[in-house]
Amino acid sequence: MAGEPSLIPDSQSLFDNAPCGLVVTREDGSILSANKTFCTWIGWEKTDLERRRFQDLLTMGGRIFHQTHWAPLIQMQGSVAEVKLDVVHRDKTLISMLLNGVRQQHESGVVYQLALFCTTDRDHYERELLKAKQLAEKLLANKVAADAALSQAQTKLNKAYEKAQRRALFAEQMVAIVSHDLKNPLTAIKMAAEILGRKMPDGKEKLMLNHISNSTDRAHRMITDLLDFALARVGRGISVSRSAIDLHSVVAKSVAELRVAFPDVDLRHQTVGRGNVELDADRIQQIIGNLVANSAAYGDQKKPITVISSLDINRASISVHNFGAAIPESARSKLFEPMTRGSDQDSQNRSVGLGLFIVREIALAHGGDIAVHSTADEGTTFTINFPEISSFSDGKG
Amino acid sequence: MSVQHRNNVNVLGDGPATLVFSHGFGCDQTMWCYLVDHFTNRFRVVLYDLVGAGQSDLTAYDSEKYGSLDGYAQDLAEVINEFASGPVIVVGHSVSAMIGVLADRAHSDRIAAHVMIGPSPCYVDSGDYVGGFKLEDIHSLLDTLDSNYLGWSSTMAPVIMGAPGQPALGEKLTNSFCRTDPEIAKQFARVTFMSDNRDDVVGLETPTLILQSTDDIIAPVAVGEYLHQILPNSTLCLVSNVGHCPHMSVPSACSEAMDSFLSPWTEGGDGR
Repeated sequence: MAGEPSLIPDSQSLFDNAPCGLVVTREDGSILSANKTFCTWIGWEKTDLERRRFQDLLTMGGRIFHQTHWAPLIQMQGSVAEVKLDVVHRDKTLISMLLNGVRQQHESGVVYQLALFCTTDRDHYERELLKAKQLAEKLLANKVAADAALSQAQTKLNKAYEKAQRRALFAEQMVAIVSHDLKNPLTAIKMAAEILGRKMPDGKEKLMLNHISNSTDRAHRMITDLLDFALARVGRGISVSRSAIDLHSVVAKSVAELRVAFPDVDLRHQTVGRGNVELDADRIQQIIGNLVANSAAYGDQKKPITVISSLDINRASISVHNFGAAIPESARSKLFEPMTRGSDQDSQNRSVGLGLFIVREIALAHGGDIAVHSTADEGTTFTINFPEISSFSDGKG
Repeated sequence: MSVQHRNNVNVLGDGPATLVFSHGFGCDQTMWCYLVDHFTNRFRVVLYDLVGAGQSDLTAYDSEKYGSLDGYAQDLAEVINEFASGPVIVVGHSVSAMIGVLADRAHSDRIAAHVMIGPSPCYVDSGDYVGGFKLEDIHSLLDTLDSNYLGWSSTMAPVIMGAPGQPALGEKLTNSFCRTDPEIAKQFARVTFMSDNRDDVVGLETPTLILQSTDDIIAPVAVGEYLHQILPNSTLCLVSNVGHCPHMSVPSACSEAMDSFLSPWTEGGDGR
């Protein structure tokens, strides 16, 4: 610098051609001088500007901001930096600029020196940012509102769930109490009928006592069904307690008992394969009891009813077959729904219509399923499959 | 929450009457620094920040309460109650002049006099009334605020327009003056410039000094004259000044006019 002073232009040229707008004003903002760069940017002649105030070149918003913010500030702290404002071009278009300013105290008075930079592109970018920020804030507000609504719904749902839980518990307790209280007098009636029957000679009275005994058995089964229904529908579901059992002997025992209960029926038992499985023995008996009662009620009573217990390497199944009319197509879709009956025929053995529903629930509780095959020629077969429950399995079915 | 903490109240000087200084939109109580010293030997002087401005408690900002000037007027009344003694003269700049009017309306007899610096009962033109602004000007202001507050978050104390290489004033002052949460600034701008208090000033008999700059785009002379005409016990004092802050740019002219107006409330005056 020191060696080549001629390279540096004179101060007026430096001022005029500076790569930024330079403006000198009085304290009240009236322009004392503006450089060529600034004049070119805003389209006014130097002489035009020297009769005006700097703030008059701003938008109305900019003027208010000047009066309320940076004019007091520059007076108090002597300078401002990075004030963003729009300067109005002579052709009324707006030019976005960034302003730095200092207040200079000279012997002759106070002047403000302002430096301005065009920031058109930056301004676009910043406006995009501002828009994005506003959008983000709006989205956030929406999300917060949605979250609040969701949590409100969740609370409602929780309350409804608790209410349903309490109701289920109550229903369960009620059914348990009622069935227990009903079973006791039934047991007493049955015992009394049997004791009387033993001493009674054969005849009409003995037959009536047998009716009493059979009817109490039916009432007993109905109560059991009702209890299971209540558990499956409103309670915790039908309970299953597994242990390793010899399927064939469990089924054989069940068939033997049913022969007593249904003396008129030719009840047969076939076995396929052999081995132990982990199933609930009482529930298996319940399945067979319900299905056989069903067959006895709706099948051809002159032909045999066949129970088949079948085992292979990793599955077990039980099926009950009877001859007779096919289940009507219209009844099949609701066959396993509660309170459904195969036909309206009045039978000694008919129940409240929970039998098949409970059989299916027991199958499901074991992880199994139930299928029905019914034609006029072949008769009707209900098959329950218990998958993957060989005696070597872990019992989870 | 104490009023002191909420409004960053500062009490200076002492005297038989109290001057409560209330700053306007965009600044805080430090703007009174050129004027205050002139009064502290004769008056009790109370300075405070409007909630949302300066070093007020930003957590006290409630957009509903401060959605109209009444919220600010309520605060002013509380500041007076707790910190003023003797007759009270509210010195309100800009929007605070109207905050003073509202406080006076709500608690008549508590305020003995008003000194209004650059007041305007209504900034936006309406019918025959000329406030000086159109609605779009207010939107233009909000837009300007937006671009200058860009990137500020409410948790960051924004240093608006820092001082490049010339920290003439202490950092504390630099950082608090004009410090505002952007959302608060925008709402206050809206509340300030959209408010219409022309009905509130009608028939207000409290003695009032109107300090009117000769050239002020925010409060034009016509507005000062309008107020003077409406307020029965008012004195209009034109101060030769360009800009909206004569108490900063020509403080001695202001204090001179105030001295003569305030003489009834000074020691030996007839106001007590």
